[in-house]
Amino acid sequence: MTVDPDSTADAGASDRPGISRRGLFLGTAGGAVAGALLGGGGGYAIGHTVAQDDSDSALEYPFYTGLHQSGIDTPPQRYSMFMSFDMADGTTRSDLQVLLARWSASIAQLMKGLPVGQVQPNRTDAVAGDTGEALDLGPSGLTVTLGLGPGIFDSRFGLSAKRPTHLRDLPTLPSDNLTAATTGGDLGLQACADDPQVAYHAIRDLARMARGTATTHWTVMGFGRASAGPAQKTPRNLMGFKDGTRNISTPEDYAKFVWTDDDQAWMHGGSYQVVRKIQMNIEIWDADGVHDQQSVFGRTKTEGAPLSGHLEHDTPDFAKTKGGVPVISPTAHIALAAHENNGGIKILRRGYNYTDGLDQYAQLDAGLLFVAYMNNPKNFITLQTKLGASDRLNEYISHIGSALFAVPPAPKAGGYIGEKLFS
Amino acid sequence: MSPAKNVRSLAIVATIAAAAFALAGCASTTTADTASSSSAATQIAVTLNGGSQDTCELSATTAKAGPVTFTVTNKTSTAITEVELLSADRIIGEKENLAPGLSPVKFTVTLGGGNYQVYCPGAVKEMQTLVVSGQEAAAPKGGVTGLLKQGTDGYAKYVSGVLSNMTTAVANLNTAVQSGDVAQAKTEYALARPYYERIESDVDGFALPGFKATDNAGNLDYLIDMRASNLDPVVGWHGFHAIERDLWQGGAITDSTKQLSTELVSNVAKLNTLAAKLTYKPEDLANGAASLLEEVQTEKIKGEEEDFSHLDLIDFAANVEGAQQAFAFLEPGMKKIDPDLTKQVNTQFANVTTLLDKYKDPTAPGGYVTYTAALKATDAATLSQAVQALQDPLSKIAEKVATAQ
Repeated sequence: MTVDPDSTADAGASDRPGISRRGLFLGTAGGAVAGALLGGGGGYAIGHTVAQDDSDSALEYPFYTGLHQSGIDTPPQRYSMFMSFDMADGTTRSDLQVLLARWSASIAQLMKGLPVGQVQPNRTDAVAGDTGEALDLGPSGLTVTLGLGPGIFDSRFGLSAKRPTHLRDLPTLPSDNLTAATTGGDLGLQACADDPQVAYHAIRDLARMARGTATTHWTVMGFGRASAGPAQKTPRNLMGFKDGTRNISTPEDYAKFVWTDDDQAWMHGGSYQVVRKIQMNIEIWDADGVHDQQSVFGRTKTEGAPLSGHLEHDTPDFAKTKGGVPVISPTAHIALAAHENNGGIKILRRGYNYTDGLDQYAQLDAGLLFVAYMNNPKNFITLQTKLGASDRLNEYISHIGSALFAVPPAPKAGGYIGEKLFS
Repeated sequence: MSPAKNVRSLAIVATIAAAAFALAGCASTTTADTASSSSAATQIAVTLNGGSQDTCELSATTAKAGPVTFTVTNKTSTAITEVELLSADRIIGEKENLAPGLSPVKFTVTLGGGNYQVYCPGAVKEMQTLVVSGQEAAAPKGGVTGLLKQGTDGYAKYVSGVLSNMTTAVANLNTAVQSGDVAQAKTEYALARPYYERIESDVDGFALPGFKATDNAGNLDYLIDMRASNLDPVVGWHGFHAIERDLWQGGAITDSTKQLSTELVSNVAKLNTLAAKLTYKPEDLANGAASLLEEVQTEKIKGEEEDFSHLDLIDFAANVEGAQQAFAFLEPGMKKIDPDLTKQVNTQFANVTTLLDKYKDPTAPGGYVTYTAALKATDAATLSQAVQALQDPLSKIAEKVATAQ
């Protein structure tokens, strides 16, 4: 999508508070872009592309809400980049404090579509403050969500008394196949945007800012959303199935399952973020007949209907049998994950499809960057204990990376993420 | 050695015009309040705010000559992360890493009469004038210029010392090669390598007289230090690494090896002659140090420099040592310009050298263990992150010392 810098600039000042300016954009600049391209003789193909592309480079979310960090209940953007960091040896409490403050201010800049320093410094001998590749791309709906890993609350920074109630390393779960290179981290950043370069730029410049204080540990770039937000068409994971049909969407469920309220006072309005890198055996899955694939998930492939019903949003009927056999197998993915079968618990899923190219066997190396938010990680542990033990999907997937972060609430203007930890 | 380096012009030193305090074309404003002055230092509050535009407000734009303390508070600005006090474009005081929510930070400078600028990059009004009344400061060049000049002079002596040692070491290598002693030649090779790597960024831009800058046949760096990965087929392979290939891969000294060695002695002599004419500006030292660390990242950590002998850690240590020397000569001046950054660079140098110490092997020629594929697989990421953490603050020095003249 071509960006019209003028529309970005116009939109910047007036209506900041997180309202999509999609209507405005499509009505004016978007139309102009389409018209210009059509006029250039690109006729059918280009006109078609523009019509299909509803992303909005001027879409902007606010950072200083004083409430929840964005990137949790924000409708999932199209692209994502996650990176985990470790605090460098010998760093102190004040190093951590300065990093969180610099990151917060910079995230606020980036979410406005602004650089984090001079791209072309006035002094010719200077290095640039901002690396520049997102200049003029607009905010593109960028959100950056900052999480604190369990390590932040060990003895290093004098913060052990402030440890979030439920923050400890995840236990080893059934079918875990984790490697150290993609597990854990003291700090986590997830950038999501409708332009992949905007998401990449955010992580790159924040990582650059952290050098000397925190070292990079692992990263995953997500190229397509794999969980639905409210009012979004349910997207598909790389197995070709709709993902997130029964995701959390109501304010009541957010309050009950996502936002913390019985935790440390400084965490009020925060959440916990579970990140899992789930590799898929793509070629093996592709060789599986569609009937078997459907029984693995418990849903039909095209419509995404539970096998007990006809439409995507039909409530699955796990008791329904045919010839004495359950229509949805008890070891189908949706049966094991359903809140009906787990004492009512739910988690907010907000994952992305990823690819790492080809593996050492020349097979597609790809899968799901599973990201989920909840007010108590034990909900994930409960679900994954069950899924890891019996899910029929386990034949086709492998959990190779994992991390858990406490996600503090968003600051108000003049503050920074985690500020209350230091008071 | 990296291809396509800029060719450094010889013996051209810009004479820096003596900095004058009064800036032409900069109207002085005297309407604002005069700073509050306690018995000790005059106090000026610098307040940063965000919103639709980021602003940098001074509590006063005039002050009396003498010590002035600036207290910088970032209330809500996300665009402004640093504040500098300038005198005719020289940085004389500054604070970085400013962000909303952090405690206010202070810096104190002693100012003579004249006009100064408070520079807040990212603010809607980036440059503001501070008028100081009273006696002018003794000499605008102050201590910093003198300290930096001493530094560049000292560094020039360091470079000629390294070159002279390199001449001896290459002669020793040549003696071993001409005598056909492979084992001795390998030892002498390891001993000769570090010298060039310490000063490479200063001497890698020489074109021999009569050659075009683009002709590798006249590029001394190509002739001395070219690796297999960037060979120019027209010119062929010369220098250290061609000898390395014969000694380690071939395991034999041939007539061609002897020819390469003779050539190397001659090219190092030419390098000596040309390098004797070099003069340095402070930013040359800073840029040179940064460029040596770039060499570490792009060649040594990947094990591409010493493809046959795996002596990469010797070169790594030499690059770091060269960078540290260049910085050390700037340090007295840098301490005055930006003590925080100076401390940061020193801390990161200490981290890198501590890390390198783990690989020391006093029994090995050159003093370091060989950089095997296995060692690279386990340790390269840690080494790279440590060097990167040094490279970042180090890369900020050039602008500081360049503006300080």
